[in-house]
Amino acid sequence: MNAVRRGIRNAFRNSMRTVGVVVILAVAIALSISMLIARDAVTNKINTVKASTGTTVSVSPKGFFGFNGGGTPLSMTTIDALLNLPNVTAVQESFSEELSSSKTSLTSPTPAGQLGSQFGNGGGFGASGSTTFVIPVRVIGTNSPGNAVVGGANGGGTEKLTSGVAFSPTSTADVAIVGSTLAAKNNLKVGSTFTAWNTKITVVGIFNAGSTFTDASVLMPLATVQKLADAPNEVTSATVIVNTIGNVSSVDTAVTKALGSSADVTSTQATTEAALSPLNSVKTISTYTLIGSVIGAAIILLLSMLMIVRERRREVGVLKALGAPNRSINSQFIAESTTFTILGAIVGFVVGIAISSPITSALVSASGGSTSSNTGGFVRRAGGFAPGGSGFSPPTGAFANRGSGAFHFGGFSNTITQIHTSAGWSTLFFALIAAVVIAALGSTVAAATIVRIRPAEVLRSE
Amino acid sequence: MLKVENLDKTFRTGAGDVHAVRDVSFEAKDGELVAIIGASGSGKSTLLSLLGLLDAPDKGSIDLDGIELANLDSPGRTQFRSRQVGFVFQQFNLIPNLSARENVKLALEFAHWPKNDRDARAHEMLNLVGLDASKADRRPAKLSGGEQQRVAIARAFAAQPQLILADEPTGSLDKATGQKIVELLRKVANTQKATVLVVTHDEKIAKKADRRLEIDDGILKEIT
Ligand SMILES: Nc1ncnc2c1ncn2[C@@H]1O[C@H](COP(=O)(O)OP(=O)(O)OP(=O)(O)O)[C@@H](O)[C@H]1O
Ligand SMILES: [Mg+2]
Repeated sequence: MNAVRRGIRNAFRNSMRTVGVVVILAVAIALSISMLIARDAVTNKINTVKASTGTTVSVSPKGFFGFNGGGTPLSMTTIDALLNLPNVTAVQESFSEELSSSKTSLTSPTPAGQLGSQFGNGGGFGASGSTTFVIPVRVIGTNSPGNAVVGGANGGGTEKLTSGVAFSPTSTADVAIVGSTLAAKNNLKVGSTFTAWNTKITVVGIFNAGSTFTDASVLMPLATVQKLADAPNEVTSATVIVNTIGNVSSVDTAVTKALGSSADVTSTQATTEAALSPLNSVKTISTYTLIGSVIGAAIILLLSMLMIVRERRREVGVLKALGAPNRSINSQFIAESTTFTILGAIVGFVVGIAISSPITSALVSASGGSTSSNTGGFVRRAGGFAPGGSGFSPPTGAFANRGSGAFHFGGFSNTITQIHTSAGWSTLFFALIAAVVIAALGSTVAAATIVRIRPAEVLRSE
Repeated sequence: MLKVENLDKTFRTGAGDVHAVRDVSFEAKDGELVAIIGASGSGKSTLLSLLGLLDAPDKGSIDLDGIELANLDSPGRTQFRSRQVGFVFQQFNLIPNLSARENVKLALEFAHWPKNDRDARAHEMLNLVGLDASKADRRPAKLSGGEQQRVAIARAFAAQPQLILADEPTGSLDKATGQKIVELLRKVANTQKATVLVVTHDEKIAKKADRRLEIDDGILKEIT
């Protein structure tokens, strides 16, 4: 029988103590495992939220709320220059205009009565003096067809071509892709034409974004709209695409600095960070508890081993007198403390996994009060656009983005506390590493004591 | 053949120095049973701990079969102990959660006795000390004091050491059992050709030895 087997056997020498040590270790390990799982789950959630936030920074003219909300359009030269900022991969620009029936042959598919009753009174774009409110048609000039309505009014989605092709980002042709409901209302197909700004525009594609507002609008090349609307070098909104999520806030700062007071710069990132702060504090709490419980487990084992070595002082002396090298005696005690730890780890692992889900929920909901208030604030802000704008504001690229951020986040707030916990191989691996570290720590101090026991002591009667 | 010359040991304590072993010299032949007597605190156990390499002397030489042991370092002393020294204690000092057989095999393990022969050797030794075969798998707590001391003797002799050091081996036993244990020590010493030093208070026990040495305040004298 070698030292390791003797050590394992010694672990069961005093069954009361074995149970005691194992139970205390199991509690500490269960706590650390559940904290690890909570931390993983929260980290995942944070990352998911951050990832869903997107890597964009939205730019709109100061005080701009929808097309009619005022503000001086931005200079395209200034916006183009944003592409030179570090970590910016693309700049999507758009110039939007509402075309009333005098400017276009198109008729909006949106029933006037419905929106008119809601927004018409505040707006100035009904025909003056007329009791019949006619909804204008929104034309968006964009240098990024395919992403122009990212997010959309309903909080997600990119327009999909249902027929035809998109124009090129740099096109200057008199072409358009038309939203599906608008196309249906006006019997437009690929190849059809309509007039806008007294110019004949050819439909090259029909898109569907799954949003009533967006699908009632027209997308045209940016340069074409700027030319036809006699607004060269003007941009009503821009979306700066950042290479990674981590750089969004620095780009936000850089864009704000570059544009100065002329523009409103928003990244959903900042708002998300604020909303995530309770999750971050849960992460911090679980990290400290994790470290604390591992250290606690190590101290428990260390003290137990110290007690055991002291109790077997004479026995250690006898082993030494019999010619056992320190190495052999140490491995015996290491095997004993490892046995305690493994038993504690097994019990702790099972218990830890079992309690991780309720613990995570408890932690998250304990800091959840601030979560909902944050979200509420954000949603209110989104809601605030209605009175802020002087009328109905259909989604533009920029606005859609802001709206989408808010809307999306509003939706997300319902799930922020729905955190999925799971234990994977990494958790098991951690448990193992922790167990080894704990056992090693527990044995090291024991070993130091063992070395100092003089074998001559066994000749002294107690 | 054990040859001890000018062995000296002083313990330095807060309360002052204790000169426990003073200039001790003596010889003992293989297979010889030597009794060491002396008052309490006279230095008997200290002398045994020096001879058994549990402690290092301040001065002097311990020569066993031509090998000088006094100058060995700690690992060297440990290794030598495992093969060439066997201890028998007053308190038996068997490992409580190992059976009689396992206690004997422990000594064989530390002496690097061939693995496959350990069982047979343990059996042989327990047989030699007269422990009932049915008791070989009992733990010490389930054996009488005399039986435990037999197991301790089997353990001390198992690895065929040259030197057996017994510190009051009969001190915890009744007179009759004590006698039997000393007789056993003499018998095994003869079969194994080992030198056995027995520390005792008991004159009757001392008389059974081949020679008697007396230690008084650290000074050793032969009793003739
Ligand atoms: N480790 C030590 N530190 C300090 N003093 C010690 C130490 N070991 C022994 N002594 C002292 O050395 C002297 C001899 O002690 P030793 O144990 O050898 O006596 P002994 O003859 O075996 O006595 P007893 O018959 O009571 O066992 C005593 O005075 C004792 O106090
Ligand atoms: Mg003594």
